[in-house]
Parts: sequence; structure tokens; C-alpha cells
Amino acid sequence: MRPLEGLKVLDLAWVVAGPLVGRALADFGAVVVRVESAQRLDTARVLGPFPRGETDPQASVAFDSCNAGKFGLTLDLRREDAREVARDLAAWADVVVESFVPGQMAKFGLDYPRLKAINPGLIMVSSSLMGQTGPNAELTGFGNIGAAMSGLQRIVGARGEAPLGPFGPYTDYVAPRFALLALLAAIDHRRRTGEGRHLDISQVEATVGLIAPQILDYEANGRVTEANGNRDDHLSPNGVFRAHGEDRWVAITARSDAEWRRLAGLIGGAALADDARFSTLAGRKRDEDALEAIIAAWTADQDALEVERRLQAIGVPAHVVAESADICSDPQLLARGSFITLPHPRAGEIVIDAARYDLSETPAQYARSAPTFGRDNRYVLSEILGYADARIEALSAAGALS
Amino acid sequence: LWSAYAAGKRGVSLALDRPEGRDLLLALVAQADVLIESAPPGAMDALGLGYERLRAVNPGLVYVSITPFGAAEPKAGYADSDLVVWAAAGPLAPHRSDAGVPLRISAPQAFLHAAGDAACGAVLALIARGNSGRGQRVEVSAQVSCTLCTLFQHLAEAVGHRGYHFSSVQTMKKAGAPTLDLSGSGARTRQTKWRTKDGLVEMHVGVGTAAGRFSNALFAWFGELGDRPEEFAWDWVALPQLVERGEVSLEQIDRARDHVATVLERFTVQALVSAATQKGFMLAPLMSTADLLDSPQFQARGLFAGVEEAGRTWALPAPFAPGCGADAALSGAPAIGADNAAVFGRLLGLSAEALADLAARGIV
Repeated sequence: MRPLEGLKVLDLAWVVAGPLVGRALADFGAVVVRVESAQRLDTARVLGPFPRGETDPQASVAFDSCNAGKFGLTLDLRREDAREVARDLAAWADVVVESFVPGQMAKFGLDYPRLKAINPGLIMVSSSLMGQTGPNAELTGFGNIGAAMSGLQRIVGARGEAPLGPFGPYTDYVAPRFALLALLAAIDHRRRTGEGRHLDISQVEATVGLIAPQILDYEANGRVTEANGNRDDHLSPNGVFRAHGEDRWVAITARSDAEWRRLAGLIGGAALADDARFSTLAGRKRDEDALEAIIAAWTADQDALEVERRLQAIGVPAHVVAESADICSDPQLLARGSFITLPHPRAGEIVIDAARYDLSETPAQYARSAPTFGRDNRYVLSEILGYADARIEALSAAGALS
Repeated sequence: LWSAYAAGKRGVSLALDRPEGRDLLLALVAQADVLIESAPPGAMDALGLGYERLRAVNPGLVYVSITPFGAAEPKAGYADSDLVVWAAAGPLAPHRSDAGVPLRISAPQAFLHAAGDAACGAVLALIARGNSGRGQRVEVSAQVSCTLCTLFQHLAEAVGHRGYHFSSVQTMKKAGAPTLDLSGSGARTRQTKWRTKDGLVEMHVGVGTAAGRFSNALFAWFGELGDRPEEFAWDWVALPQLVERGEVSLEQIDRARDHVATVLERFTVQALVSAATQKGFMLAPLMSTADLLDSPQFQARGLFAGVEEAGRTWALPAPFAPGCGADAALSGAPAIGADNAAVFGRLLGLSAEALADLAARGIV
């Protein structure tokens, strides 16, 4: 029996942070109905990459990775008849996941108190940027705005340059893990007590948790964390160095004096390994520019992968700065089965991320690619909700299923 | 680090390299629901505390392993650091300094993503145990966890989307094939930070269906200010089509963004945040760790809880999702062995004398 077998989920979320929650539930056996509007495209549908580089909102790796395994229903929630369908699904479901701007679900008549009235044991996850309450609840935005509000935009950058911020919508990478954890705990709680609940997940608050030590550093020492390139107070070297070839780089760290000695021995023999300037962390931090210049000169005409192998062979942390081609051919990721190829009605096949947790007895399974527009309308309305054909036709004719 | 992430836990100290230490651990395991370990791959087996051994003691145990690259070859033995895992997973490549150097986040992140995944895997396994009565092994690799931080760009090669590199803003320009960034977040747009009178703000002046309407709102506000040049009077939602038809050039879009810079630098951060909220464009201040503690939003929601540790009180982002009802007060991170007596005494039934003896011999 799969962990979430029998669990019924209505997924009203969109883009990344919300839909990834339902994706994980589907991987582990839940029946997930993803509702979207073909009128207002889910942003993930226009994000690449796309099979063979052919832009197609119905074959996007981003959308497919967030929605594989789900059934798809198109609904135009601006219409009352469509909202009635959504309410019927909420009555059927154990779990509702949504990521609208706070207040929007109430405008739809789908807020938690109203859904709880028709389904007392319902669990609902609301994932939003700032949370459902508070003076900034209405601040909307994608994950780049979330990264600014959570303190992350400020702490990426080279020393002496304007902060650059993390890549893309950083809070979207963090929040789904927290939302899923809270939801799984709520599912466990419901199984034991029958009680549902409303989970108010702020993507920004989840992300603040990832810099908790830096917040404590400010409280205890008055130090405000600023962007510091790749340097680290406790590690030296801790840097990224150019290697041979077009835009090839390798990351290298020494975690101890002993690791530095091994690295130095490889670069410059005993002369460098015994150089007193660099023998302690304090010394290496003091002369870090010189230290990094020595390493950079050594890596510059070497293949990045070769540097990685030579350093790992002597127990020094090093890795190619991986681009997509490196990752898709990484023997470790391939051996772990990290990428799943699924048949796809438009692209022939599509590749998505596997689940990020390997469960030895009840592993993830990937039943189907993400829905194309309305792919499962008939199944959902007829099989799940038991609507008669005439009602389905009427909804379709009225434009509710668009 | 310890204060932040060991809060709420009890702490015991145990010499696992001694047989009696291992016996005590096995006695704890017999009563545990979950064991979480992040030792190097093989280390727990070498101690005689690998999954098979512990499962024999407690068939219901959920055994969670967090490793940098995974427990199996070829990279199980790879030496790691936050930077190295970040490099291996993909999200290091797209952050570039002005000189093109890939940049990490200046606060270690890799193992926190892995921890989040491990917690999810653990609760999934507990739910599965509710069905079957059996525990299982849950394994998480930090490298895999961090691939999520590329916004799926790491999969480009797997589907044959050539040229869709992380660093595509730079590499595509070099290759002479610039394309528009249709994301909402500006993932592939170089400038999303803007100078103001008194600091930096984050804003993606986006195009297309995801973000174009916010750019329209921004330029509508510029219009109200009397500062919207005719040259930029296009619909940002439709801009991809206008570019495709040759009616607007990428250089014009660059000039429009330059214009944004000149307008924004006349305002304060606070004035811009107010305008964004009123006029419907997406802009936010670059919060610092100090600003976070003063945020009225977080104060109103009780994000920061007072946690007492060794006589001092810290504000920690404790109830990670205030709406989740996890309202139990958090205890401060334990000192080494702080709960030895409570755990070994009350939980395992060791007498005070036995405990003192174990302590004297360096086992507890």
C-alpha cells in the first residue's frame, strides 16, 4: 500500500511553490485533481525548458515537474457555475491546496470557513508570499520579491558590488518543502483525530528560517550579514575558480589545515604545503587574495572535471560548477534515478525530476505526465463527481470548462 | 548555528565508539519512531549502527539518512562543503559577479534544503507505517535537494533544449541569440535591483503573460507622474509578440529599463513600496537580517519567538508557519549532554549511580 493511497486532493495552486506540494502527494499515492484556467496561463507553462527547445505551454518541463501524476481539470473560476464544480470537488477532497493572493479564495466563495461547512474534516493549505494575515498580507509577487522580503536578495554578490540576489524565485524552492511538511503532519493528525485544519504558509517566513543563524548573529553580535562573494569566515579557501574551456569553473573548499596541506601539495609541492603564511585558517584568511590567486593560476589551464577528480581523490571538496549538460550526465544523479522520463501526448516524452526522498519500502511512483488543458475533464466530472453527461455538456457549452 | 537549529530539542552525549555507548543508543532506538543521521556514508555501518542492525532492534523505525551526494557510489565518498554541493546541483552557475564568477549565497543553504526534504520523507514514512506497521529507510541527497533551486533549468539538456543555459543572459548574448525572459521572477534578466534615494529595491520589469501586467502598472504610474516617454507606450503583456514581429527591439526594452532606473532613483524605498502596493506593480525592499527583526508583518504574525538559552533570550524564527497551530513554546538549544539524566534516567531507567559510572568512564 502506498503511503497516501486513498487521499483525495483538490489542487488549486499555481506556478511552483504551491503545485509542488500536490506533485509530492501524487508521487506517493494520492489522487490529485489540478484545476487551472486555460484562459489565464499558469506561469510555469511559459517557463522553459521545452523539449527540443520548441516553446509549447502544454509541454513545459517546469510545469510538468510541478504537476506530473495529477489529473487535470480546466475551470474558469470567474464563473459561478465553475465555482460550483470547485465546491463539489472540495466536498469530495480530503485536502485543498491553493496559492491565490490572500482574499481571492473568499471572493470565489471558496475560503476555508465555507469549505469546512460542507466538509468538516477538510485540510486546506494556503501558500502565499507573506501569509494570510498581517499588515503586508496583500503584498504580492513572485519568488524574487519573496527573496527580497526574506533577506536573501541582499546576501548574494561579489564583495564591493551591488547585491545580485539568488537565482530566480528563491522562496519557491523553500516554501513547498515547509508546506508539504506541515500538510503531512496535518494528514497524520487527521488520521488520528478526524480533525482538519487550515495551514497558512508564508513563503517568506519559511525562507527566513534558512537564515536563522545569521539573524542570531545580528542579535548576539550586531553583525548584519552582507554578500561576501564565495568566502566563508570558517573555511579557506572556499572559492570558485576558472578552468580551461568556455565558461568552465570549479568550486574548491578546504575544511581544515590538513585539507589545505593536501591541496597545496598538489598545486605547489612541499614549498606551498609548508608555506607558513597559509598553514592556519587565520593565515589563509589574512592572505586570501594571494591564496586564491595561486589556486586560480593552477586551475586556469586544467579541465574542470579533472580538477574535481584530482582533488576528490585526496579528500578535498571540489566539484565542477555544473550546468545542465553536467547535471544531466552526472553519474551520481543518473545512478540515483534522479530524472524520470514519461510519455507525453505532445512532446512524445518529457523529463521531470524524481521525488527528492528515497523511501526504501514505499517508493515514489510516477503515474502520468502533467495534464494538458482539460485532459481529464471528463474523468473528473463523470467518474469522480458523478455528473451526468448532460450537465457536463452544459458546463462546457457555457464556457465553465475553459 | 547550533542555537538556531538545535532549539526545541533535548540533548544527550554518548560515546558511540564504545560498546556500552552503542548499547545505550540501541536502547533509545528501541523506543524511537525516527532516527536522523548525517554521518558520512558507511560510517553508521562501521559503528554497527547501520539500518539493518537498527531495524532488527525496532522494525517500526523510520531511519533517515542525509548525505551530500547519496549513500551509494560513485560519489558517496566525495568530500563536501556547502559551496561544492551548490556547484554540483546547479544553482551556483547562474549567479554571476560582474566578472562572470559564479557566486553562492553568503549563508550556507545546501543542507537546509536537504533537511526540509528529509523531514518530508520522514513524515511520509511515518504515515506509511500507520498503514503497514513497518518502518523503512529514507534517504536524501543534498545535491538532489538543491537541483530544485535551478527552476528546472538543470533539465534542459535532458529534453534537448540546447542553449538554455543557466547563465543564459550572458551566454546567449555572446551567442548572438538573445531571447526574452518570460518568467515572473526575472530569473534570466540581469537587472532586477534598482537604486533609490536611500537603498536598493527588487523589481523585475517583466514581459508577457507572467509579469507584463505589473510592468504595465509601473508605466501607468510613470504616466501619472508625467514621466512616460511615448517610445515605451507599448503593452508589456504583448511585448513578446511585438518583438517577434520586429515592432519593438530588445535595445528599446533595455532603454525602457534604463528609464525605470532614472525614475526610481528619485524616490525613497518607502515611497516606492507604497506606490507599488497602491498601483499594483511588484517591488520590495532588500531586507537585511536586522530589518527582519523589526518587520511589523513578522511581529504581527509572531514569526519570531523568544527562546531562552543559557540565561539569554533570542528571537528565533521558530514556528516556521505561524498558521500551522504549532504553538508550543520552543526550548533553547541544549548544552552538551544537558538532558542525559532525564533521557537515560527516566526514559531508559538508568539509576543515578549507573549514570555517574557511565559518565566517569566517558561513555555518557
